[in-house]
Amino acid sequence: MKQYAYYPGCSLESLAKDYQLSTKEVARALDLELKEIEDWNCCGATAYFPVDEMLAYTLVARNLAIAEKTGLTDFVAPCSACFKNAYYTNAYLKKDPDLAEHINFALEEDHLHVDGKLNVRHLIEVILEDVGLEEIKTKAVHPLKGLRVAPYYGCQLLRPRKDHENVENPRFFEELLSAIGAEPLEYSSKARCCGASLIITNRRAALEMVRILLKDAIDHEADVIATTCPMCNVNLEVYQNQVNQEFGTQYSIPVMYFTQLMGMALNIPSRRLGITKEPVPKAQVPVPS
Amino acid sequence: MNAKKKLIIIDDDPDFVSGIKSVLEKAEYNVDAAYNPKDGFQALQAGKYDLLLLDIMMGRGAEGVALARKIRKDPKLREMPVLIITGVREQIAFLFPGQAVHPNFVDVDELVEKPIEPKLLLEKVSALLKAAEEKKLQPQ
Amino acid sequence: MAVELSFSKEIANMMYATHGNPITNCLQCGTCSGTCPAAEFMDHTPRVMIGMIGADLKDEVLASNTYWTCASCYHCTVRCPAGIDIADMMYALKRYSMWKSRYKEDLIGPDFSEGFVKMIVNSGKSFEPILATTYLPKFSASQLVQEALTATGLVLKGKMPLLPKKIKRLKNFQRMVKRIIPLGGSS
Repeated sequence: MKQYAYYPGCSLESLAKDYQLSTKEVARALDLELKEIEDWNCCGATAYFPVDEMLAYTLVARNLAIAEKTGLTDFVAPCSACFKNAYYTNAYLKKDPDLAEHINFALEEDHLHVDGKLNVRHLIEVILEDVGLEEIKTKAVHPLKGLRVAPYYGCQLLRPRKDHENVENPRFFEELLSAIGAEPLEYSSKARCCGASLIITNRRAALEMVRILLKDAIDHEADVIATTCPMCNVNLEVYQNQVNQEFGTQYSIPVMYFTQLMGMALNIPSRRLGITKEPVPKAQVPVPS
Repeated sequence: MNAKKKLIIIDDDPDFVSGIKSVLEKAEYNVDAAYNPKDGFQALQAGKYDLLLLDIMMGRGAEGVALARKIRKDPKLREMPVLIITGVREQIAFLFPGQAVHPNFVDVDELVEKPIEPKLLLEKVSALLKAAEEKKLQPQ
Repeated sequence: MAVELSFSKEIANMMYATHGNPITNCLQCGTCSGTCPAAEFMDHTPRVMIGMIGADLKDEVLASNTYWTCASCYHCTVRCPAGIDIADMMYALKRYSMWKSRYKEDLIGPDFSEGFVKMIVNSGKSFEPILATTYLPKFSASQLVQEALTATGLVLKGKMPLLPKKIKRLKNFQRMVKRIIPLGGSS
């Protein structure tokens, strides 16, 4: 069983408990051993860079250092923002010896040292690359037949990385959804921004950004939107009411973590995946007579 | 009179730099300036300076601290007097409100806070230069 | 006395670490503005912002909401044909205005960032309800009601815990922070 240094990030302890639950269940079912690193701290999200970028790297570096100490080679984050911060800090530590030296000076206070030698990966990449589509297909004993899923990539899972397979039109999420028997739908907003923390700092702008995503998914007759990031999930799910109030729309569409959908296909009971209401393919909903 | 002393300012704020540069030049110092730590360190390595006036908040963050530490580790630059002139308390005051710039993060010779009076600046500079001369004359 | 450093160089100096091309390479093609999902909420589009920096319009740049309206989606960055890391430039501008304490009064972004950083320095973790105290005062009455309903809803749904967590080695963590930011007694 392959082991990973697992960094859940703050959201998975609060707003995204359902992501945490479903991640653990799915990992177990797929024989991935996620070992949560001890005493990790917040990655700083996007709010740190406007104040002090050096400190932002240091915060992330502490988590990387704790992970390096375990001897494991792969650092896995389920949150796209945490992933992006860890990915870049790790890369900069390798590339910039002065930065690494100074950050290690600070890390001494917690008896830690970082080299920047980890493979930093997002959870969805680990599942796709280390488990593989064939294995997923085999294990998906309860394929999500007829369920139209809008795969929502968001931003920081893909960008600003340019070494990605296809930063403008990635396909890996669609492939994963097909492997669990769902029907991934084609829509143009799949990597358009959800507004992220603008939901707090510029509510109007973020609601408009969320509205565009909801509209695109609903226009394409999605039964559910699937996400890979707590921030995206919360913006798309929790703020639907506010979008409806602001724009006079009547959107109501379930938003789920990709791990919850995978869990359903792997035949894990809904409550263990943090699912309160299972999405049903529209085609199967009986029309009231 | 001795040859003019050569000073270098590393500070990202062009207005501040031009202000103290003119004060120092009127007092017969030769003054160079660099506006980011990377250029600053290159200049330090290339030219021979008698004193460094160093800012803290630059570039990505408190890079002046990192630079001061790097200088103290460099065998050629280790002995250079470093005067830190910082507005860090103003710049990120909210983080530790009312608390002092703490003195022991790195071995620098003096630390003063912006804004700095021209008279005080000149006093500090000449005192540091004098101390450095005396140190040089002392048998190791 | 004449300023010896152009504004675009000054901003470039705040982002040199990312190894992106300098903003003076901008072709003014507008790919960034066309790509930006938040452009319509900005006083100036990203393309105009870069032009303003090039034209040394420092006061106008500091008075703009543009960079506080950037959601860091990096779409502009990956598309820029001149290879400029525009999203990173937005961070540099945020930093520039934070360090000078000069930004539009009605912006929530600076308070949000301050609150976030403070919260992490105090506990090592981020926690929504505590963070809210930093930005809620700037909300309108109707927004406050909405926010309260949303928050209550989240707690009721079991999505939100009522108490924040702290990391275990908080003292070490805070000393680590002070080695990076030389402020406060070295307890």
